[in-house]
Amino acid sequence: MTDRTVANVTCLGCGCACDDISVVVTRDRIAEARNACALGAAWFGDGSVPAETRVNGRSASLEQALTEAARLLTGAKRPLVYLAGDVSCETQRESVAIADRLHAAIDSLAATAAPAVLAAQRRGRAGATLGEIRQRADLVVFWAVDPSARYPRYASRYAVEPRGVAAPQGRASRTLIAVDVGERRGPVEAHGRLAIAPVDEVDSLEIMRAVVQERAAGDARFQPAIDLARRMTEARYAVIVADGEPSPIPADPARAEALVTLAQALNGPTRCALSTLRGGGNRSGADAVLTWQTGFPFAVDFARGYPSYQPRTDAAALLGGGEVDAALVIGAPATLPEPVAAALAQVRSVAIGPRSSAASFQPVVAVDTGAAGIHEGGTAFRMDDVPLPLRPSLDGARAALVTVRALRDRLGA
Amino acid sequence: MSQTNRLRIAGGTVYDPANGVDGVVRDVCIEGDRIVAELPSGAPRLDARGMVVMPGGVDIHAHIAGSSVNHARRLLPEEHAADPAPAPRLDGGAVARSGTGGTLPSTFATGYRYAGLGYTTVMEAAVAPLAARHAHAELDDTPIIDAGFYVLLGNDEYLLRQLAAGEAARARDYAAWLLGTTRAYAIKIVNPGGVAVWKGVGGGDRRNVSGLDDTLGSSVVTPRKILEVLAGAANALGLPHPVHIHCNNLGQPGNAATTLESMKALSGQRAHFTHLQFHSYGGTPGKGWASAAREVIEYVNGHPEVSVDVGQVMFGAATTVTADSPVEHLLYASSGRKWVNVDIELESGCGIVPYVYKEKAAVAALQWAVGLELFLLARDPWRVVLSTDHPNGGTFLSYPELIRLLMDRAYRDERLKAVNQKLLAGSALLDGLAREYTLGEIATITRAGPARLLGLKNKGHLGPGADADVTIYANEADRAKMFSTSRYTIKAGTLVVEDGQLRRAPAGRRLAVRPGYDAAVTKDVKRFFDQYACVAFENYGAEPVS
Repeated sequence: MTDRTVANVTCLGCGCACDDISVVVTRDRIAEARNACALGAAWFGDGSVPAETRVNGRSASLEQALTEAARLLTGAKRPLVYLAGDVSCETQRESVAIADRLHAAIDSLAATAAPAVLAAQRRGRAGATLGEIRQRADLVVFWAVDPSARYPRYASRYAVEPRGVAAPQGRASRTLIAVDVGERRGPVEAHGRLAIAPVDEVDSLEIMRAVVQERAAGDARFQPAIDLARRMTEARYAVIVADGEPSPIPADPARAEALVTLAQALNGPTRCALSTLRGGGNRSGADAVLTWQTGFPFAVDFARGYPSYQPRTDAAALLGGGEVDAALVIGAPATLPEPVAAALAQVRSVAIGPRSSAASFQPVVAVDTGAAGIHEGGTAFRMDDVPLPLRPSLDGARAALVTVRALRDRLGA
Repeated sequence: MSQTNRLRIAGGTVYDPANGVDGVVRDVCIEGDRIVAELPSGAPRLDARGMVVMPGGVDIHAHIAGSSVNHARRLLPEEHAADPAPAPRLDGGAVARSGTGGTLPSTFATGYRYAGLGYTTVMEAAVAPLAARHAHAELDDTPIIDAGFYVLLGNDEYLLRQLAAGEAARARDYAAWLLGTTRAYAIKIVNPGGVAVWKGVGGGDRRNVSGLDDTLGSSVVTPRKILEVLAGAANALGLPHPVHIHCNNLGQPGNAATTLESMKALSGQRAHFTHLQFHSYGGTPGKGWASAAREVIEYVNGHPEVSVDVGQVMFGAATTVTADSPVEHLLYASSGRKWVNVDIELESGCGIVPYVYKEKAAVAALQWAVGLELFLLARDPWRVVLSTDHPNGGTFLSYPELIRLLMDRAYRDERLKAVNQKLLAGSALLDGLAREYTLGEIATITRAGPARLLGLKNKGHLGPGADADVTIYANEADRAKMFSTSRYTIKAGTLVVEDGQLRRAPAGRRLAVRPGYDAAVTKDVKRFFDQYACVAFENYGAEPVS
């Protein structure tokens, strides 16, 4: 193909799903991903992917690979399907069909944000799409997170810098507050900051909610949090930004619910949205697709012939339990959470996705494909559940969608 | 049965109101995916003697697909766990999908269950343009039924700016462009201006509008103006369905005044007012409720340009899911139940609260009675059609029970005795309404009427050329039982339900419009996008990208 630039490309490097990337292609390689952050540039890379098809480590035809994959999966008593990153919603939809047919368990990268998802199931949410934060936020509270590390353009595209209809000066129209919870710190450039000991995090959120609901007694230890709560009630449109993905320093499991209920309570005295940051690879798409096809967002089990929800037994737990005797990984193995990748090494598996042939868990059948958004089109979801089209900039790689469909056909699913 | 096949539905009692057929024993002939006048005598026959034959059901207003529906599904794992839906066994080993039910079933279960009920066309009632691509993906996974959606436009920032600038023609072009680019079927207005105010438009401490003449920033932008311009746009564009309106003040005591004022604001123009039950209350906020059904339906009866669906409340589990986010905030604040709010950039909102309507609760009983009064006092069944605003007033699976309430006065009176009557004083229902709907009228409010209101010329009837969407029911005295499971459902000529069992599950078709517009509008919209939107103009909408 000729050299070219593909505009309005959506990046799946993180959950921001920035769709303003211009991909410059020179001699069938990505020479540049304009507008992309460092994380995005790394995600696009030069676009080269291996094109291996392997059975038991040896090169094979696709025909042989699919036959072996079908044999392995239909012969399993307790198969597991795992939706890894960098596949489109279209491929995810086919994958859930396979799990349904196999009476398999199915989980996805969306499970990494399980505490936030479960909190939202218990209490609901007070949220907004990222663009609404841009339009309206006049007070942004970064709760134990600096998005610049894992979501580099979150501030420049959405919550801080850009001008919005009710934030005509962009950043200058907003006040930024950093809440540092132990080593989990907010952005350095915040206008104000307060420090909370990790042990006090959930209590602080609860006391803030009590202040918002005008039922609080004073407590000097929590005075900075109490002051912040008062400040939030005076905002026109307050936003709390928190990370839904696990951090290296584990957070209190109760904090996700405390964040939701604080944001909800602030809708009364003022308006407030909680913005829960989520990772890339179209994991939000996996959450959405599983929800519409099964009613549950992750950790679904078709063993009884219909979907049941096993949120306490995610893929890592299921694999660790020793019950699973075959796994089908769809997506890029490199995106797998470490515990899942490690546990997969203990079972016979089929991997279909970008760089499957290089998977650390050594699948019995490995079929390399291109990556959604680089080699393949389709749909992906931003972290706020906004759907975006994917625009491939390179061709020539095997399509994941076609390959998964072919496997589905083999399985009669 | 493949598309080229023929079928004679022989000897059934046919209700085809659009063609003036009211309970006549006659054959209905199908060739391919169409109804035909006659077939050779040797054509395959389906013996429908003693059974009731109607066109396939047409649901004019339900929430079945898209981002709000999926937020609601995600919120309700306990409902899904309690209502598993194993994959049906289809003919010839064809692949079927399992799923879950509850008030918001998974997509496959939604298609199967509608078909089991004898419905073959469903309109998703509220999709934010930003999430149009999502709604289409879900509808692609919703088998059997033909489906389309209404795109939300009554609180849209770009639209409001055109109104402020007096650019009614550009507003119309924008609506036309948006319908096409999102592949939508009709224009939806939800609480005109109220959702924008909830998000902060207009400033101040307001969280909603209270009536038609509240202003939104500009003194010329009011709910009234939004209604006028969008109703005018839908009519000028010649859309098959007029503007679909969810009025201001949903669920508030005394809101009948707002509803009537909205109807009068559009006097002489075609307009569809949805889930009218939720907008037909007398009384005063904070001081009590009463039925205002008679007043509202009398206006409808006298104004042929107005059509409505009722939005009946049925006792039992429901989930309120709407773009009317300020209303959901009130429901959350008063009920303490779990609550979802999502503000959708520059366009709309989304609010969700699970709910249970209890017979012993005074307000729920009033709502139930108001809906029945609207049905029973309606003079023209072609313009007052059946809905429960699924799953807001009850799920689509409660339609058979609703039909029984309409057809069986003794049963209805029995049920009335069991409900809380505190707020029913003076209501027409308590005074005694003798009317019983006939099967022909049921066929009108569930088939012929909604199809006509939607401008679906090939649906809702059984004349030659119509889509071969046909439902056959066993003629049982218990109408709830009769309508709960069709004996046969034929969709586009394919026998999908046979002997009460789902046997085939072909894909449905998408219903969408693509009106013309002055292309200059897209340049202006793109400028607006470049300034404020956080998705690229080129990535917006639901068209395939190159």
